[in-house]
Amino acid sequence: MNNSNVVSTDLLIIGAGPAGLSAAIHAADTFKENGDSKKIILIEKGKEVGAHILSGALIKTEAFKELLDEEEFDALPFDSQVTTDMTLKLSEEGSFSLPFHPPYMDNKETQIASLGALCRYLATLAEKRGVEIYSGFAVDDIWYEAGQVVGVITKDTGVDHRGKRLKNFQEGTKVRAEITIFAEGSRGSLAKKLLRRFNLDSGRNPQIYSLGVKELWSVPAGTVQAGEVLHTFGYPLKSDEEFGGGFVYGLQDDKVALGFVVGLDYVDPTFDIHAAMQVWKQHPKIAALLQGATLIEFGAKTLPEGGYLSIPKLYDDNFMIVGDSAGLVAMPALKGVHLAVTSGMCAAKTAVLALFKNNTTAAELSHYEALIATSRIYKELYPVRNFRQSFRNGLWQGGLKFGVQLLSGGACPFSGDLKTQPDSQTLEPLDEYRGRKFQQRFREKLHYDKKLTFDKVTSVFYSKTTHDEEQIPHLHVNNTERFKRINMARYGTPCQYFCPAEVYEVHVDKEGDTTLRIHAENCVHCKTCDIKSPADGITWSVPYGGDGPEYDYM
Amino acid sequence: MALTIISLMKQVPLPSEMRMGEDGLMDRTKAKSIINIDCSFALEAGLQLKQQHLDAKLIVCSMGPPSFEVSLKKALAMGYDEAYLLSDRKLGGSDTYATGLALSTLLHHLGFSKTSKEPFVIVAGRQTSDGDTAHVPSQVAENMGIPQATFIETLESDGEHIVAKRIIEGGYQTLRLPMPCALSLTPTGIPPRRPTLQGTMRARHQNITVFNVDDIGIDQRKIGLSGSPTIVAKVTNIQSERAPIKMSQGTDANALVQSLIHNIQEGKNVTAKETTKKKKTTKRPDFPEVDFRKGARGILTWAEVAEGEIVRPSLELLTPARELAAALGEETKVTTLLIGDDVDALASTLIEYGSDEVIVVNDKRLSEYLVLPFATIFSDVIAERKPEIALFAATTAGRELAPRIGVKVHGGVTADCTALEIGEHVDRKNKQIFKPILESRRPTYGESKLATILGFVCPQISTARAGTFAVPKREKGRQGIVTKRKVRLKKEDMCVKILQTVRGEGGLQNLFEADIIVAGGRPAGESDGLKLVKELVEALREQGVNTEWASSRPAVDAGYAEYARQIGQTGKTVRPKVYISIAISGAIQHLAGMKESEMIVSINHNAKAAIFSHADFGMVGAYEDLLPELIEQVRRGFTFGVNAT
Repeated sequence: MNNSNVVSTDLLIIGAGPAGLSAAIHAADTFKENGDSKKIILIEKGKEVGAHILSGALIKTEAFKELLDEEEFDALPFDSQVTTDMTLKLSEEGSFSLPFHPPYMDNKETQIASLGALCRYLATLAEKRGVEIYSGFAVDDIWYEAGQVVGVITKDTGVDHRGKRLKNFQEGTKVRAEITIFAEGSRGSLAKKLLRRFNLDSGRNPQIYSLGVKELWSVPAGTVQAGEVLHTFGYPLKSDEEFGGGFVYGLQDDKVALGFVVGLDYVDPTFDIHAAMQVWKQHPKIAALLQGATLIEFGAKTLPEGGYLSIPKLYDDNFMIVGDSAGLVAMPALKGVHLAVTSGMCAAKTAVLALFKNNTTAAELSHYEALIATSRIYKELYPVRNFRQSFRNGLWQGGLKFGVQLLSGGACPFSGDLKTQPDSQTLEPLDEYRGRKFQQRFREKLHYDKKLTFDKVTSVFYSKTTHDEEQIPHLHVNNTERFKRINMARYGTPCQYFCPAEVYEVHVDKEGDTTLRIHAENCVHCKTCDIKSPADGITWSVPYGGDGPEYDYM
Repeated sequence: MALTIISLMKQVPLPSEMRMGEDGLMDRTKAKSIINIDCSFALEAGLQLKQQHLDAKLIVCSMGPPSFEVSLKKALAMGYDEAYLLSDRKLGGSDTYATGLALSTLLHHLGFSKTSKEPFVIVAGRQTSDGDTAHVPSQVAENMGIPQATFIETLESDGEHIVAKRIIEGGYQTLRLPMPCALSLTPTGIPPRRPTLQGTMRARHQNITVFNVDDIGIDQRKIGLSGSPTIVAKVTNIQSERAPIKMSQGTDANALVQSLIHNIQEGKNVTAKETTKKKKTTKRPDFPEVDFRKGARGILTWAEVAEGEIVRPSLELLTPARELAAALGEETKVTTLLIGDDVDALASTLIEYGSDEVIVVNDKRLSEYLVLPFATIFSDVIAERKPEIALFAATTAGRELAPRIGVKVHGGVTADCTALEIGEHVDRKNKQIFKPILESRRPTYGESKLATILGFVCPQISTARAGTFAVPKREKGRQGIVTKRKVRLKKEDMCVKILQTVRGEGGLQNLFEADIIVAGGRPAGESDGLKLVKELVEALREQGVNTEWASSRPAVDAGYAEYARQIGQTGKTVRPKVYISIAISGAIQHLAGMKESEMIVSINHNAKAAIFSHADFGMVGAYEDLLPELIEQVRRGFTFGVNAT
């Protein structure tokens, strides 16, 4: 490695989501307050800031008040203030609205927004403060020295699909940083490496996730008012096995954000969240909203929902982890953006102080967790620490357990804190699953008219996803033999169903032999395969910078 | 002697986002922009050259609005040392002629000229996606008086010369050029590198020097609309003539192939012909008619010779030439210039195909085409004969020769035309009507628009797209004039040496005559060396169908097929009864070579492949699974509706 490939900075942030951008903004502000000037670099893998950002999104605004000055806060590009908020329980044909709104889902003081638009705005504020943002660069490795994180290494480019160097090969850049803040979002591929290397999750619950599939629609004028919020649960999910539901958020200019979110702890190996959303849209209540409407955008993303008990240790020498990478989502309220902002600010405060003291050791950075413990993150997550686990055994039973928790300040009176099981372990083998399989349950509804409902490949088209073909495929089957034996033979290749972008195809040849084909070019970077594949079947790694979806208003 | 590598670069709108402004000029304000693809290959070629000459300086130049700085920054991030932008509202509306002049003036201002002591090389993109003319590199070279080579794929340098691989029809040539020289790069060489983070951080602090027209001292009358010998008179949308594809349905190979057979038997989709709305007929104003030709008369064409034969596109060219001559009346003559070594025998052939006169130039040194001596000979003939129109086939040679000649005779060029007609131009501003005038029509903006270009300087020069016009009927025994012409060439004209010319086996004439062509792409080569493709051809031949196999450029590049079998812009243009494309994605260069086929059947694993937008029948799937099934059906008598010969 020659020296021209090395750059250095005081503070390095990986990922331009709400957590990373908040960390950058708050660090720059705090340096300035102390009359200090330090270099802050932020690296983002999306082609532009916002290109890989997807969220509902209902956003609690108060964290932004702490981050920004009044003028900047007032200019935040929120879409609409929430005006009405309804929750529906759907059955196959009908629906009834809950007589009262569950208190933990209260959306008062809440804004509907495109988180992508919000991040693009925050990026301009960060750059105004002197933060250097580099989008379109993939970081796939951590730079260690003497066992400590000293920075990151961007991905080499110009190799063919077998990894052979081509004539336009460019070695990655080594970025040396005093402190690195990892803000990669849900299931960060670097955070995953850090967790393993530094045992950051020892003694914590395994993290568990949901997959959210989202569509942005343009509807005939007057169909849905901007600010209207609707959540549904029930159909088409099995209430005792599948935790999740749909959302409909009315946006300005007769646009509607639709989403369907399901916990990845489901057990049916043929369950398919993208298909479930298409089935959901065929429910009369939802279909009525989309009459004469056109699809504008599609995307998918996972979110961590293990809650307080799944949060790993968030720091060690020279680094901290923030936002979704840290698992900071307040599950009952389905909200994580404000916690991402707060965690970014806590990390920024810690980093500035550590750099001032010239001490970036784990002992010094432990201040970060101390700040979190006194912040809204603790206040919001601790009382509901057992919420998600309660629903492991179904909605009604879970609701009952959770109701008890609300009364008891979050404790489970009978069993103590509840454990989680990694999502990769919850599936039942294809032959052993006794319930009616998803593919059979909805056989009649899995035909897509490309008006209301869409097949996965068409959906991917609406995510504007592209990948350079000249690179090592960024999705990797960890052990081909074991994958065939376990994932394919035993579980019936669940990735062909759970992947919302048809990356995985099971090919059957004339002799009836099956092979897995990977269409990495379809990948929308949701990382479900990395989470849900049985027996650690698949690893998601970051492709070339700028590859992946190009979300506009997700 | 430090080498300077100069890259000429243009920023273009993303092809999918192109739109036209109200004034008929390109509206560049709304679309997302990228570095023109060909230019990005030129940038990489410059960087590759630098790897051989570590002390070389890399500079990148562009002409356009300030928004072009984004792309110049990217070039700096890729490794360029300096960036210059010529930016001035007065440049708006410049055609390629005025652009070539402005860019060469910029380079002169930066201290680069024919007489520079230090060697330099100019690398540019072959053509831009929003213009597709491929003129500017030739025009810059001629304005600077330096040698050129276009359609270059790779190059290297010994410090004094450039050795470059030039793509020609059915093969390639290795050329050696002295420096300084100008090269234009095809998008088939080494793909552009991605900027590194380190490079991007460095570029953040590098400056871009911006000049206006006064800074570089160019006469305002020579640029912009006033300096442009050609204008875009009209732009219309091209309606795709091909109706939407019929896709095969089914879950396995057998079902898919059965569905394909069913679909083909049923016939293609047809688009309902839209009833043409009655056009508002604006009354032709009563302006005086102006004959701007200043006595220029007659049509001059070039007969390109390869391997001792007149190339097919040069014969095709005689069709529009004769039609234009007829439209002009007044016994307008078609004169053809034939240059080569011992080519007298070909003159009578040209006359039989429609030339009235053939000017023959024989010279041992001219057995292979070379742009410099050919341009010199042409400009001498033009000066002497004063033709009103000069036509070239839009071959790799014609597309560089025409603009170089254009600069010599101070005229513009219209590239790659698909229609040539005689019409008139109503100049409402100056209240006059130019008549007669050559209306050159060409597809542009990614083949989505049809532009009509007019030139007001004689000769009005156009190049005609190969494969667009039919070869005229040969009239045995037709009489005409053969004029022998001696040339005196300067040493300078012969400074470029052809080191090697490689063409595929005999040109594979059968590709033009085959009823069915089966073309395989690179994936098919990679997986079985096109074995299944050839098996399908064999099976069809066994049924008595005249069938040939062909290939896409990437497959040829990878060595799975010879150049003579390449279909596409730099290969052959074919129009068989049935064109079956296998594992070919449908790059625009490939489509150019086959989209006129009567029926197109496409097999690709990627449902999003562009080829499906241009085909009549399609099957999505791995060809390894589908072809054996299809071959089986052919053996049982299915021949895509084509009869045995």
